Amino acid sequence: MHFASPRDAIAHHVGVVHQERNLIPRFSVAENIHLEQLGAHVLRPVDYAELNRQARRWLETLNLDVDPATPVSQLSVAKMQLVEIAKALSLQSKVLLLDEPTASLTSSETDTLFGILRQLRDSGASLVFVSHKLEEVQEICDRVTVLRDGANACESRPMEGLGRPELVRLMIGRSEGGGTWRKRDTSGNPPVLELRQVATALGHRDIDLTVRRGEIVGLYGLVGAGRTELAKSIMGQFPVTAGTVLIEAKPVRIGSVAEAIHQHRLGYVSEDRKGEGLILPHSVLGNAGVPIWRRLAGLFGSLSDGAVRRAVLPFIQKLEVKTPSLSQTVGNLSGGNQQKISVAKWLAAGVKLLIVDEPSVGIDIKTKAYLHDLLRELADAGTAILVITSDMPEMVALADRIMVMDAYRVRGEVANTGVYADVSQRIMNLIHRAEERREAEPA
Amino acid sequence: MTSHDAPIAAGPQGDSLERDQNTLRSSFFLTNEFGLILLIVLFTVGFGAAASGFLSPFNLFTLGRTAAVNIMIGLSMMVVIVTGGLNLAVGAIGVSAAMFCGYLIEGLGLPWPIALLGGLALGAALGFVNGWTVVRTGLHSFIITLATMSIFFGVMIFLTRAESYRALPPVFASFGKMKILAYFSPLLIVTLIAALALSWLYRRTVLGREMLAAGARPEAAELSGIRVGRVFILCHMLSGVLAGIAALMLVARNGAAIPAMAGQLGQDWLLPAFLGPVLGGTLLQGGKASVLGTCLGAFLVTMLTSGLLLLQLGEFWIQSFLGLLLLLAVLVDKARRTYLARRNLA
Repeated sequence: MHFASPRDAIAHHVGVVHQERNLIPRFSVAENIHLEQLGAHVLRPVDYAELNRQARRWLETLNLDVDPATPVSQLSVAKMQLVEIAKALSLQSKVLLLDEPTASLTSSETDTLFGILRQLRDSGASLVFVSHKLEEVQEICDRVTVLRDGANACESRPMEGLGRPELVRLMIGRSEGGGTWRKRDTSGNPPVLELRQVATALGHRDIDLTVRRGEIVGLYGLVGAGRTELAKSIMGQFPVTAGTVLIEAKPVRIGSVAEAIHQHRLGYVSEDRKGEGLILPHSVLGNAGVPIWRRLAGLFGSLSDGAVRRAVLPFIQKLEVKTPSLSQTVGNLSGGNQQKISVAKWLAAGVKLLIVDEPSVGIDIKTKAYLHDLLRELADAGTAILVITSDMPEMVALADRIMVMDAYRVRGEVANTGVYADVSQRIMNLIHRAEERREAEPA
Repeated sequence: MTSHDAPIAAGPQGDSLERDQNTLRSSFFLTNEFGLILLIVLFTVGFGAAASGFLSPFNLFTLGRTAAVNIMIGLSMMVVIVTGGLNLAVGAIGVSAAMFCGYLIEGLGLPWPIALLGGLALGAALGFVNGWTVVRTGLHSFIITLATMSIFFGVMIFLTRAESYRALPPVFASFGKMKILAYFSPLLIVTLIAALALSWLYRRTVLGREMLAAGARPEAAELSGIRVGRVFILCHMLSGVLAGIAALMLVARNGAAIPAMAGQLGQDWLLPAFLGPVLGGTLLQGGKASVLGTCLGAFLVTMLTSGLLLLQLGEFWIQSFLGLLLLLAVLVDKARRTYLARRNLA
């Protein structure tokens, strides 16, 4: 079997729920669900009543209470995800591929989804569940195929009797190593970044946040909680509209990212490495040196490769970036090495505060453990670190304190005890309470 | 990719730098620039044999003079293509700058060096208008410069009443007619200086690096501390200045500032403006510039035009031919990039 196009695959009853949103925001829920069928008869007018009726049936299957005529852009991210699943179901798929479907779901929504997936399985559908969350794979899957470096590390092994250590071994080719969380007391250190009652142009309200010297503060929330947006507002990309931002106890107004980097020594590792983090078509040297170019400039803004190389090479070496040379195009390196360069860039710039957004997106477990060690080491050396991640185990492994965000507000703080079950429970409680409160009061 | 997975040499820092340069040298034969040089040599031999008078001192002199202007036009487009945009108003800006220079001399009686600077300043100012509007509106430079092309040209025609400035100081005309060693126009020296300055800009200055970085991936550049908006505006201003220089070179050649010297709306410049950079391997997506390539590309185009004219091919055929060449160059470039991408990822 070989599919000539996605359309061909759909015709053979293969449905896909993509990791990235694949909905048209201005179209209604019903239109999006039936997107593939809308164009089947070019000249026949669309029967919207029928369309909505059909859509309602799929929404009911998923226990999703939305009017099919609502434009998708008005839904929450979690509901969009469910619409996406409804869309795949409506194609009567016999094979359903789900690529990281739980990235934006709360644990209760995930439970609902898993219930539906089990029903589908029992009714005879085949499901492929792609995920990097081992807990979920262990919970929902019957058999597992592990991919490592683009090849099968194991093929369709029964999940039964396969524990986490064995899964990890298959993923990284050796057992899970690396340092683990340890208690660090930084409460006496002076704060590097303080936000007091900050509001932003993107919709954040009453944000209070402190990151001290040598501290690792986690920012947890579901996709769409406004964490990345808060980070970018701190970096000066979007304006702060109310409240006070203090850097090392001095109130500041950061008007641009350039100011944040050059004057206040802040750094931001983007979650979107390929789009915003790195300049893929440029070289390793061309990427790692960007934030310090201005500092290294000589007469008439001249800049020599040698100077950049001298400033950057120690950090590229320290992070053991695997590249044939510094002139190698970054786009040709592996995800893990790309991420190391994104971090090395800020080490070379000597930042006081480093914001790391989803540090382990698209990198292997080995590099992940390495990056965790590195971040701890950086914090021990005095850098203030703000970590944004949706990966709860990662959060528990890294953070000293965890700020929980929901709907562009900070909903509370959880001190990390290093005990996964305890910390994750308290975080999810905060999020549920926030959601209930949000649904009680109309927007 | 696994073959690349060797840790970087931790030894003396000079080692891997030298190795980089060696690989650069050996792969020069695969570059656009080398291909262009090969074509230029081939066509020189071909035209020299087929078209009588192609290698005569006079033809080579006029060829060089036209090439100097065309290269400058190509460079003025290249500096904006670097941002991933384009500047359709190069011709309109150039002619406006030249006419302003003529006005400063004839209308206000200013000395010519000041008038030259005034013309270039207007070029920069009009470039600023383009850049500022593109950055502020977030629209593609295609639509913005299409609009400003008409605006600039229309206002210029209105203000000058479409009259030429013909009573310019003789220094202009004599510079245009001057010959160095019987073959070369001093205009080539102006172009050479501009090209060297641009090479230095992109290779050896923070601003040039920032232009390339911002052009390749504006979002990433912004988050790395580059003021992308400001850098893009500077690119457009630079384009305006270079367009102004190109037009002033034409003034020297013609001995007068003529509103129609770049055709209606300055459109006559568009084909050479794109041909140079595209043939030369400047990426239309931005982020990569080849100054040498642009020079060679523009030179090749000028040579082809001259040779074909000598072979008595009609002017219109030559226009069609150049259009075809542009299309071909874009296709070859696309194929080359696909090939390189495959080979790198394989």
